[in-house]
Amino acid sequence: MTSTTANPTAADQKLKEAYFTASQGQLIWSRFKSDRTAMIAGWALILMVLTGVFAAPLSPYDPTIAGRDKNYENGAPQIPKFWDENGFSARPFIYSTERQRSIQTNFRWVTTINRDKRRYVQFFVEDWEYSLFSFEWDLPGKTFDFEVKLLTFNTHLFGVDEGGIHLFGTDASGKDIYSRTLHAVYTSLAVGTIGVMISFILALVIGGVAGYFGGWIDSVLQMLTDAVRTVPAIPLFMALAAFIPAEWSSETRFFFISIILGLVGWPTLARRIRTHLLTERSQEYVLAAELCGASSSHVIRKHLLPSFTSYIIVDLMISFPYAVRSETALSFIGLGLKDPVNSLGALMQNVSKADVLLNYQWYFIPVIFFIALVLAFVFVGDGLRDAADPYSGTKK
Amino acid sequence: MAAFIQFTFMRAAMALITLLTVSLIVFTLMEMVPGNCAERYLAFKNTQGAQITIDDIKAEERRLGLDKPFIIRWGQWVGNVFLKGEFGDSCILRLNINQLLKDKFWISLGICMTALFVAYLIAVPIGMISATSNNPLTNHSLRFISYLGLALPNFLLALIIMLLSTVLFGDSLTGLFSKEFRDAAWSWARLQDFLSRAWLPIFILGWSATAFALQTVRALMLDEVGKLYVTAASARGISGRRLLWRYPARHALGPVINSLGFDLNRIFNELPIVALILTLTESGALLIEALARSNDQQLAGAIIFLLTASIVFLNFITDIMLALMDPRVRRGLMG
Repeated sequence: MTSTTANPTAADQKLKEAYFTASQGQLIWSRFKSDRTAMIAGWALILMVLTGVFAAPLSPYDPTIAGRDKNYENGAPQIPKFWDENGFSARPFIYSTERQRSIQTNFRWVTTINRDKRRYVQFFVEDWEYSLFSFEWDLPGKTFDFEVKLLTFNTHLFGVDEGGIHLFGTDASGKDIYSRTLHAVYTSLAVGTIGVMISFILALVIGGVAGYFGGWIDSVLQMLTDAVRTVPAIPLFMALAAFIPAEWSSETRFFFISIILGLVGWPTLARRIRTHLLTERSQEYVLAAELCGASSSHVIRKHLLPSFTSYIIVDLMISFPYAVRSETALSFIGLGLKDPVNSLGALMQNVSKADVLLNYQWYFIPVIFFIALVLAFVFVGDGLRDAADPYSGTKK
Repeated sequence: MAAFIQFTFMRAAMALITLLTVSLIVFTLMEMVPGNCAERYLAFKNTQGAQITIDDIKAEERRLGLDKPFIIRWGQWVGNVFLKGEFGDSCILRLNINQLLKDKFWISLGICMTALFVAYLIAVPIGMISATSNNPLTNHSLRFISYLGLALPNFLLALIIMLLSTVLFGDSLTGLFSKEFRDAAWSWARLQDFLSRAWLPIFILGWSATAFALQTVRALMLDEVGKLYVTAASARGISGRRLLWRYPARHALGPVINSLGFDLNRIFNELPIVALILTLTESGALLIEALARSNDQQLAGAIIFLLTASIVFLNFITDIMLALMDPRVRRGLMG
């Protein structure tokens, strides 16, 4: 290759050297970087993951019923302003609201906005307490329950001096939709992550065993994989989710739903791993390793697995939006997560009511986050798939 | 010809094995629900005022054959389903499942198959055009539409359409029949009424199927269009639509036919949710009803089994079709 260039400069040489000695990871990264859509989606994804992880410090109110604002139920979004007819303010403000009920309002609660009374936005206010790292193990029964809470704070990014601020409005019980959305992003991501991890481990074991050993083991496992793959996933999810007893706590439900997602999602990946192993294990380098006396576990770990790590990562990324979508669908039907756990699906449960459709359109704001999340995953997954394919540059 | 018949038999046997495995999974799920039919029946009698003892339950279990081991009961269930097409009774509704499902399952299957058909009717020509056109605007907008089809959940689309129609026409377009036809027997008027409402679920279910199909067709066409045999054909003076249909399309559409079964699978996935929003009265809604509200596993198992069976059947048909169309597949499969 180098002989074709007549007089390579030192810089050229260096670039070329960097290219030829680059690891697979570096090559993938450099290809991924040049895909603008995927990069933007990647940043958006990182941003959303971070808002999910730091949901508690970013949200002014507790997303559960404890943080409800009983004076502002089904309230419209309040957007902070810097000026109005009463003058300019360096500190953003919203208007205060009053709620009254009298003979004029036909004895219904009516909220009015008082434009003369401002609520100023404060930063780093101290309010309800949260832990950035908390773990709760709550199985049915008492013996195995335990709870860990670390990094407990009570500072929140913003709030108002008096009354409440609801950027995305409130729902029927006065819960802040903004706080709920941020927490829901976290929950949906967490469910998706656990689900994808479980299905990944299952796929690795089942696909790996089928692909490596072949023969009748392969045939039996293929039969099982095909059967599970043919059953429509959402009805199967629903059937499994119907086992959850109504009296289980919401945290246990959360765990169980993640496990269900994992139990149903493995066949596609398992099949791919099997096919890859079948082609790869007849290659010369595997034969060479075997002739040198390497055990099968050594061959799998040191030779076969590294040969398709990048494909696995890409596959995981691609299966992520499906896990998130499945969770949302389950919760939407009412078989998945329920109050007080906030997930994107649980938040969307209310939007199909005619009342909401006509009067309270801000219930739809979490839907935007859901679409953004799924789109970001799809774009990043596509970008990674193209980047991990060594022939992607040569194809048209 | 003999080889082809042999291939058909092989494929049928494989489909049967898949169905048996699925039936085992479904039956296990049905069995895992706490409480059995005997307890349910007698619990119902209890609410009617009868005194129930443990012995009554045991006797009822014997009568229903619930005291036999799991494998035998599975065998009986499978035997009834495969040989007689009989799913037994739902012990919560105390009704025969076949009677309950009959029409509703066919309506669901009809809606889903139509959605699939419409999706490919749109996706094949547009996918072919986008693969061969060099217009970046077409390509980008098509790519965007496909991604939107992936990300915009069907239920959201349904909600938006419902919102618009409620505001504009004052009718939410939900349900499958108008009031007067809901329980009427099939007639020309009922069919018309059904069709005037069925287009909405078909459109919504077809939406993401179209997006998927568009991407598949486009990618497959792109792979084929650049190949030498296409260049050779155009060198012989064939051009335009004739060239596309006769050469690259025949290769590209093989894998598309192969993936029809999985597209149907995807549509079935969306069915219960769309059914819930549009308050359809077909088997998707019945499935939610059975699982989320009444915990009726016999009914749910029957629906899931029927859905899967139709996918397996479609896979079987497409495999045979592919073997008929493509001699390479035939030769490859028969060794």
